[in-house]
Amino acid sequence: MMRTFIQLLGEDAPIFRRYVWMAVLYGLLSGLTIAALVPVLTRLLAGDAHGSALWLCVLLVGVVACWAWRRQVEKAGIGVGIVVLQGARHRIGDHVARLPIGWFTPENTARLNHAVSNGMMEIAQLPAHVFTPVFSGAVTPVVIVVVLFALQWQMGLIALLALPVFSAVFVIAARFGRRADETYHRNAARTSQRMIEFAQAQSVLRAFNGEGGGTRFLEQAIDRQRRSGRELILLSTASVVLNSWVVQAVLAALLMVAVVDIQARLGAGLEAGPVIGLVVALLLSNRFVEPLLDVAGYGEALRGARNQLEAVREILAISPLAEPEAPREPKNASVELRNVTFRYAADQPPLLQGIDLKVEPGSMVALVGASGSGKTTLMRLVARFFDVESGSVLVGGVDVRHMTGERLAGQISQIFQDTYLFQGTIAENIRIGRPDASDAELAEAIRQAGVERIVARMPDGLETVVGEGGARLSGGERQRISIARALIKDAPILLIDEATAALDAENQAAIAETLSRLRGKRTLIVIAHQLSTVAMADRIVVLDAGQIREEGSHDGLRAQDGLYARFLKQRQAAKGWHIAATP
Amino acid sequence: MLTLAPLAGMAQIAKIAINGAGAEGAQGGIWLIALASFACLFLGLALIAAGELAAHLADNRLTHGLRRALVERLSRVPLGWFSSRASGEVKQAMQDDIGTLHELTAHYYTTLGRAGGAILFSVVYMLVVDWRMAIASLLPFPFYYLIFGAAKKAISEERMTQFVTGQARINNAVIEFVNGIPVVKAFGVSGKAHGAYREAVDAFTKAFLSFTQPLVAPLANANAIIAPVTVLGVVLAFGTLFVSLGWIAPVDVLPFALIAPGISGPLMLLGFISHGVADGTAAAQRVQALLETERLEQPAPGTLQVPAGTEVRFENVGYAYDGQNAVLSSIDLTLAPGTVTAVVGASGAGKSTLARLLLRFFDPTEGRILLGGADLRLIETSQLYRSIGFVLQDVRLVNASVYDNIALGRPSASRQQVEAAAQAASIHERILALPRGYDSVIGEDAKLSGGEEQRICIARAVLLDPPVMVLDEATSAADAENEAAIQKALSRMARGRTLLVVAHRLDTIRHADRIVVMEDGAIREQGTHAQLLSAGGAYARLWQSGGYADAVQEAVAP
Ligand SMILES: Nc1ncnc2c1ncn2[C@@H]1O[C@H](COP(=O)(O)OP(=O)(O)OP(=O)(O)O)[C@@H](O)[C@H]1O
Ligand SMILES: Nc1ncnc2c1ncn2[C@@H]1O[C@H](COP(=O)(O)OP(=O)(O)OP(=O)(O)O)[C@@H](O)[C@H]1O
Ligand SMILES: [Mg+2]
Ligand SMILES: [Mg+2]
Repeated sequence: MMRTFIQLLGEDAPIFRRYVWMAVLYGLLSGLTIAALVPVLTRLLAGDAHGSALWLCVLLVGVVACWAWRRQVEKAGIGVGIVVLQGARHRIGDHVARLPIGWFTPENTARLNHAVSNGMMEIAQLPAHVFTPVFSGAVTPVVIVVVLFALQWQMGLIALLALPVFSAVFVIAARFGRRADETYHRNAARTSQRMIEFAQAQSVLRAFNGEGGGTRFLEQAIDRQRRSGRELILLSTASVVLNSWVVQAVLAALLMVAVVDIQARLGAGLEAGPVIGLVVALLLSNRFVEPLLDVAGYGEALRGARNQLEAVREILAISPLAEPEAPREPKNASVELRNVTFRYAADQPPLLQGIDLKVEPGSMVALVGASGSGKTTLMRLVARFFDVESGSVLVGGVDVRHMTGERLAGQISQIFQDTYLFQGTIAENIRIGRPDASDAELAEAIRQAGVERIVARMPDGLETVVGEGGARLSGGERQRISIARALIKDAPILLIDEATAALDAENQAAIAETLSRLRGKRTLIVIAHQLSTVAMADRIVVLDAGQIREEGSHDGLRAQDGLYARFLKQRQAAKGWHIAATP
Repeated sequence: MLTLAPLAGMAQIAKIAINGAGAEGAQGGIWLIALASFACLFLGLALIAAGELAAHLADNRLTHGLRRALVERLSRVPLGWFSSRASGEVKQAMQDDIGTLHELTAHYYTTLGRAGGAILFSVVYMLVVDWRMAIASLLPFPFYYLIFGAAKKAISEERMTQFVTGQARINNAVIEFVNGIPVVKAFGVSGKAHGAYREAVDAFTKAFLSFTQPLVAPLANANAIIAPVTVLGVVLAFGTLFVSLGWIAPVDVLPFALIAPGISGPLMLLGFISHGVADGTAAAQRVQALLETERLEQPAPGTLQVPAGTEVRFENVGYAYDGQNAVLSSIDLTLAPGTVTAVVGASGAGKSTLARLLLRFFDPTEGRILLGGADLRLIETSQLYRSIGFVLQDVRLVNASVYDNIALGRPSASRQQVEAAAQAASIHERILALPRGYDSVIGEDAKLSGGEEQRICIARAVLLDPPVMVLDEATSAADAENEAAIQKALSRMARGRTLLVVAHRLDTIRHADRIVVMEDGAIREQGTHAQLLSAGGAYARLWQSGGYADAVQEAVAP
């Protein structure tokens, strides 16, 4: 657990180590201060008020020292908490940003979400609220054991033996609930994910809720969370009971020994010294048990945090896409695929097989193919969202695996098939393409992508907020903003995936014009179902069954009796939306 | 209270031991006291455990009920409620806020009872033993309250809100970071988390600091004042003083040394819990507010109407998203059963909004919409959603098996029906090729291309088999072959039904029974393809600029 904690803290780990030492020292200090009780009390009970007062001074000095030191410890604890909340969250974020796209499945996403929001909160509370009492609570009793030995060796022995027994019980009890705790957290994470889905997909879920099918998943998740919560409660109670009863049993044993001894001495006649020692020992055994009870009480919090730490450890253990040791620079804006074979999962047939494609700098290539033929996949390979299985992808004549991620990303700008906008304003979303763009550049991108018209209609203009994912805009508006975002980046290579699918004729024409202006200046790879866009390309590449079947110009391919010609005919022959006459 | 018995017992034993009074009689007494104390202790422990267990189970039941109630409630609020906030906020309210109530429901009363009882018992016991010593021993505690109370005042409402907002922001940022990961990778600083995420983390840390910073020192002081060591020190100091003054016997200091430090624990617990209660109450208020969110107007009992037929009529309908900016105005439109009505127009003209109104995602700000003569507002929700199916412009699948995704609207559908729907949407073959076929889970072992996902959405609507179907750009991502196949299948299925199609590609709607051209939220012109072309208006212009004229001619010519 501590190891994971230190891993999580990365370079901030020394802050944590320092804090741990401080907490341990605090435990020692309070142990010693408590030990000072012995002479005070002994003298007091023996009627030596003067001696007692002297020792009392020592005790009070100890008390003040404890107080001052505790403040320091607490400050250090908060410091560690801050490091978790800020440093560790950044560390996880940066790590996750380097993971391959394929990692982001709903399950993993749910775990990440839970770990970063709820988990980090829980972990950050550890030092301030849990570690201090636990660390010091583990040290103080040790000091007291020593003193107890001096006062009454049997009691000391019992206390000494109790320590390992107690640690064992504590560990066992923690084991006990761990599985239930894991299940609970997993279910809670899933429920959270369902809630997010509930909010994001509300329109679909609601419209298809005629038979309750829409809310069913969330309801089931909530029910599951309740069941695992119940199980966790039962097991937790059991382990709390176990822990505290064992501690109290130790107290009972100590008391019994004291009683037996007192009995014996009473029987043997009065002898003030040892009896006083015994009474003091009784008092000490109380001080011995109290911190242990604290530790027992924090068992729950510790176990919960342990699981959260475990989840974080798993996320940090995923290796990111490898960066080259000796990175190379791309020479130009060409894109080339050499004998590329690719599959998403090992147990599936290859999606692309032996693909050879060279796109010269400044030329425009259109990818055409049936839905699911791998057009988007090919783009993802160019941007290195995935690595090829065999063959290579070259950008500017350099294998993408030999370039730093930063360099490659700098070469490429993308328009995705599924547009995603971030919460914030239209301007902010476009500026994501290039945060340091000037206002003039922004205005230019806006004009080229046809965003001008949107901005003119909105009362807040460029400052219109778009909502999560762009939910407060129409489909076509979203798409044009994502085009502007890609244009403002002004990278030498532009990958365009279905950029005009949601656009009306007029806007489409505007985008087509922009593309034609970019021709010769930028390397363009375009996926489109729109004839007008496809026809503009210097070269059309037809993908089918994982291979390139045809290549050529629009006129050339149309003249052939191949796939492309068939694709054109189908479009034209389709009758579109109508209701069939009676059969 | 019972758990304190051993302390009192110890005090008693110690007294007997030191006084050594009546050695013979005391012997049995000591044992009796010891045994009685432990019986009390364990009985008390058992009671506490039982109480905690009961409270936690009740809390578990309560939070579960609240979450279900929220689902129920939020399923009936206007959709705008969702689009005006982030999904992370919704999650925070349903999951985290309700979780915070835990402090209130599971811990508050048990802790209050337990700690309060213990404190009361201790105080009374000490007062009975010796009131002067008792007052002296209790001296540190009022100080604790003073300092602690002052510290709590420092937690202003505003800081608390900042803290909660900060948390919501992190929630949102993580969701966006993950959902937009391709965008982050393509446009973000390489190897760095999404900018908004970084900002959210920093902002939260700041809020957290300003929330806790003023508390650290006072709380540390408060805790130090009532630390057992301190209390013991005070007890012994006064004890020594009183003994030397001859007010009490040395042995009488013992009960105080034993009992007084025992108050610290419960008192700290009370302080801690009062902190949790503040959180819990704030959370409870937020949950309460959420449970009272304005719903879509519900029909009064008895006024429910059942649609007669499937004719859809928009009567002078107007709508504004934020209440001011009209997106639709004076829409009059009738969709006759057995016809296809196509809606075309520039992006942002309000086509999707029109479709959403028909689905009653929100109510028109003006006018009304009738289905089979019944106002949508008076139709029972489940009835409405059985009558109208749709394929929305944004493809949206849920994290469930392909089968469940298609059967979303009709969980009771048979396997054959589901497969038939998939066939109509020409996605059946692709589903069979998935690792687990129809049982593959979307996003896990079923990762589909854009066009494939869209076809699943079509299958979903086909399976629902509603009398009224709304297709908003339903085949925008389909290739020519699939598009033709889907259109053919749906055309066959749609016989006798009402179809509303939103499309940008005019060649796909030229055979529609009626084409409605929208511009800036109003209907500009309507008619058949031929009528509109010859009218030479907006539609004719769109048709020209799309270059369809040549394409269609070409198809006819060679
Ligand atoms: N991350 C993924 N993991 C596994 N399979 C995937 C993944 N993404 C896509 N696929 C599958 O790979 C195939 C090709 O997908 P791709 O997105 O490249 O198609 P596409 O040609 O862009 O189709 P469309 O025109 O519909 O967008 C599809 O059958 C799809 O189901
Ligand atoms: N949830 C929302 N909140 C506020 N405004 C919105 C919301 N949804 C859409 N709008 C605005 O309403 C107008 C009409 O949007 P709508 O989605 O109806 O357009 P559309 O005709 O379907 O366009 P497209 O062809 O691009 O899909 C747009 O200007 C859009 O920005
Ligand atoms: Mg694609
Ligand atoms: Mg739309």
